Amino acid sequence: MKSRDQEYRELFMAEALEYYDAMSRHLSELERNPQDTEALNELFRLMHNLKANARAMGFVDMGEVAHKMETLFGQIRGQERTFTGSLVPLTFGAVDTLGNMIRAVGAGQESADAHTLLDNLERLIQGEEPIQAATEQTTEEADADAGRKLELSDLVYIPVKKLDNLLNLVGELVIDRDRILTLAAEIGNAALQTTAQHLFRISDDLQYSVMDVRLVGAGVLLNKFPRVVRDVAAAENKQVELTLAGQDVQIDRNVLQLITDALLHIVRNGVSHGLEDAATRVAAGKPPVGQLRISALTERDDVLIQVQDDGRGINTEAVRQKAIRKGVVTADAAALLDEEGVWMLLFEAGFSMAEKITDISGRGVGLDVVKLAIDSLGGRLRVNSELGKGTTFTLVLPTSIAVKGALLVELDARAYAVPLLHTDTVLALHADEIFAVGGLLMTRVQEENVPLVPLRQLLYVEGDEPLPRATRADLPPDDTLHQVLVVSYNNRRLGLIVDRFLRQQSIVVKPLSKPLDTIDLFGGVTLLGSGQLCLVLDVPALTRLFLTKRP
Amino acid sequence: MADSSAAPGSRRAAPVAPEAVVQLIVFRLGDEDYGIRIEQVKEVTVTPEVVKMPKTPPFIKGIANLRGDIIAIVDLEERFQLRPAGRPVPDFSYTLAVEAADYTLGLMVREVPRPVTMPVSLIEPAPEFVQDSGQRDKYLEGIAKLPDSEGVIIVLDMAKLLTPSEIMRLPGRSEPPATKADEAPNAPTPPEKP
Amino acid sequence: MNKRILIVDDSFYMRTMLKNMLTDAGYDVVGEAANGQQALEMAVATTPDLITLDVILPDNTGLDVLKGIRQQQPDAKVVMCSAVGQETIVNEAIENGALAYIVKPFSEERVLEIVGGALQGDGPRA
Repeated sequence: MKSRDQEYRELFMAEALEYYDAMSRHLSELERNPQDTEALNELFRLMHNLKANARAMGFVDMGEVAHKMETLFGQIRGQERTFTGSLVPLTFGAVDTLGNMIRAVGAGQESADAHTLLDNLERLIQGEEPIQAATEQTTEEADADAGRKLELSDLVYIPVKKLDNLLNLVGELVIDRDRILTLAAEIGNAALQTTAQHLFRISDDLQYSVMDVRLVGAGVLLNKFPRVVRDVAAAENKQVELTLAGQDVQIDRNVLQLITDALLHIVRNGVSHGLEDAATRVAAGKPPVGQLRISALTERDDVLIQVQDDGRGINTEAVRQKAIRKGVVTADAAALLDEEGVWMLLFEAGFSMAEKITDISGRGVGLDVVKLAIDSLGGRLRVNSELGKGTTFTLVLPTSIAVKGALLVELDARAYAVPLLHTDTVLALHADEIFAVGGLLMTRVQEENVPLVPLRQLLYVEGDEPLPRATRADLPPDDTLHQVLVVSYNNRRLGLIVDRFLRQQSIVVKPLSKPLDTIDLFGGVTLLGSGQLCLVLDVPALTRLFLTKRP
Repeated sequence: MADSSAAPGSRRAAPVAPEAVVQLIVFRLGDEDYGIRIEQVKEVTVTPEVVKMPKTPPFIKGIANLRGDIIAIVDLEERFQLRPAGRPVPDFSYTLAVEAADYTLGLMVREVPRPVTMPVSLIEPAPEFVQDSGQRDKYLEGIAKLPDSEGVIIVLDMAKLLTPSEIMRLPGRSEPPATKADEAPNAPTPPEKP
Repeated sequence: MNKRILIVDDSFYMRTMLKNMLTDAGYDVVGEAANGQQALEMAVATTPDLITLDVILPDNTGLDVLKGIRQQQPDAKVVMCSAVGQETIVNEAIENGALAYIVKPFSEERVLEIVGGALQGDGPRA
């Protein structure tokens, strides 16, 4: 289990060790060349950062040493003094002391008293000489310095973007692997088949390993909630006891990221609408303190995150009536809904159970953001409630998702996503930059002729007949710029003419379900932030379609 | 504390005596009443925003996001060619989410469907006279004659309609639209996602 | 719609802490920049409602970055982050259009109070 404090401590440690290494390096540079402004500026900055971080962590002595060092380097920078004389050994000694303090934090030990060092640094700042004892090294200390081991941090910080890229590459690898496997079977060479089998296993392991790297404990998110619950409970004047469980359940960092707001909403909702105030609870024969439990657990390939309260439960009929009143559902349709169906109405846009909008749960959005977030992940939402006994919301989430970068293009007022993996470049072409060869429109892209085709034609012209032969006369005569997305697949470039480019964005691709999974032009579908559906184009299939239908 | 295992469980009570009584969800297609057994219907909802999907037959209205499920929306009037000429596709409609073995399909209907309970014995095997209605008869379970001259309900057998190849079949065509993968010069096999 | 905030600080630890405080309070942290160059680019790319800006950065001083941002977007709301003893820089920052400053180490209450105040259009404050 990793609490936020622990997370901060790890971040602090990793960064402090990095600072320490850089300080040592720059100090040596400054010793060689006291005029090295860059080294000086860096030392000043590193001391400043270490000071601020150490103080935030409550490491007073470390913060003080760094503060005085910062002041000293500030004085040197301001040409109030030079990097000479007794200042040099003392600063080296101070950086060593900082290193020891940082390591002591890492080992969970108390660091040695820094009183003498601080006094000496203060003397230097005041323009006095340090007292001798501190600057004289014993032979023992000198030996210890010379024999000091170099230490690198055990933690590596990897931007999630790099991991996403890695996962995408592995995805590509797996596609080619499957192709090789098929080819090996066709060729029938035993050695090739064995190698292909081996490749299969290795790339499988690789894919899991890469996905595994992105897994973090659910605690990373869950541990944020004690504070949230405390605040909401205080604002709502309720007594709430929060229990957390399953902080070590592993889940993809990106999944957690995407559900953060959703979970926040459910928890706030649980405190402000689910749980009753103490008086109401006592009147109902319940203990005055409401129980709220947030837990993570694994179920097959999914991770469940549950928010459970022992509050008033959902009044199904009230919800049904309100949904009708709010126009979320018609009276006829509502009459057909069973209990669970009615509960799901809570998550419809336009439904907000609170009659009085409180500051806590009424931030202008309702529980519908919860559904949007879960939908976009391909997850599910379950509600279980018993009147007077309490309510449980369960988010069923995939352990891992592949987030892909995509470019959104617009065609006939509809957005389509094109995975960045297959996009090459975007062009805005004047008509005179387009020429026609053999019934095909072409343009020059980096010394290469690239065929152009309206995406509209590829998507909407029915039948297997070749596309109509295109001539420049087809282009509108006016000055309009033609928006072209150049995609590439198998080193073959193709320019798709679209209406306009919308934006680049990360998407989670959901596979199309039956019976539409046979339409291979679409790699799947994604939900945009607005809840809108967006088809994901499959560039290999589009390229193949173009090749078979080219005039 | 409430029970933590939000078990999916059975969502609607099964008919008390399945041999004797049947519950249908009844809706209008063209000028006729059609019914589906209630256990085949997952839910009835106002049709969500439908996104047109290229390369699909015209009776596939597109795809829609139904509580996180991305489902195909089918216009049965068009599929069975029951829409009287000149009558437009309504702006506002209802969707019946019907469940097949491994997917959900949305059936778009113009009026709010209503539940009807009747003795099973009222459903008679389809007579010959509906044979001229395109391919609809292939998917019929039978025809229920309501007492007191309240008309008839044509009962559809969803299991027969809900195979993906039947759904995608164009009226009058024997094969669903072919995909292009076979003609590809260098088509990788899509991998199974772990 | 939550208010969107861009955090500029060269310490990952500081950014993380500030980000946690702000997101817990319901703000959207739309970007994090670790140096002046990134800050100027992201200020354009993410169109934040507010920027928290560290006074000491590796490639520029926070003051230069502040001037750059205000040149790009004269209406940009910027709150400086500084440590004790940097009053001169802070005063100069306020003269150059910064709305307020937060003193490190951050107290969550102060951060939220100052950020909230700056977003509501209060004048310079500390």
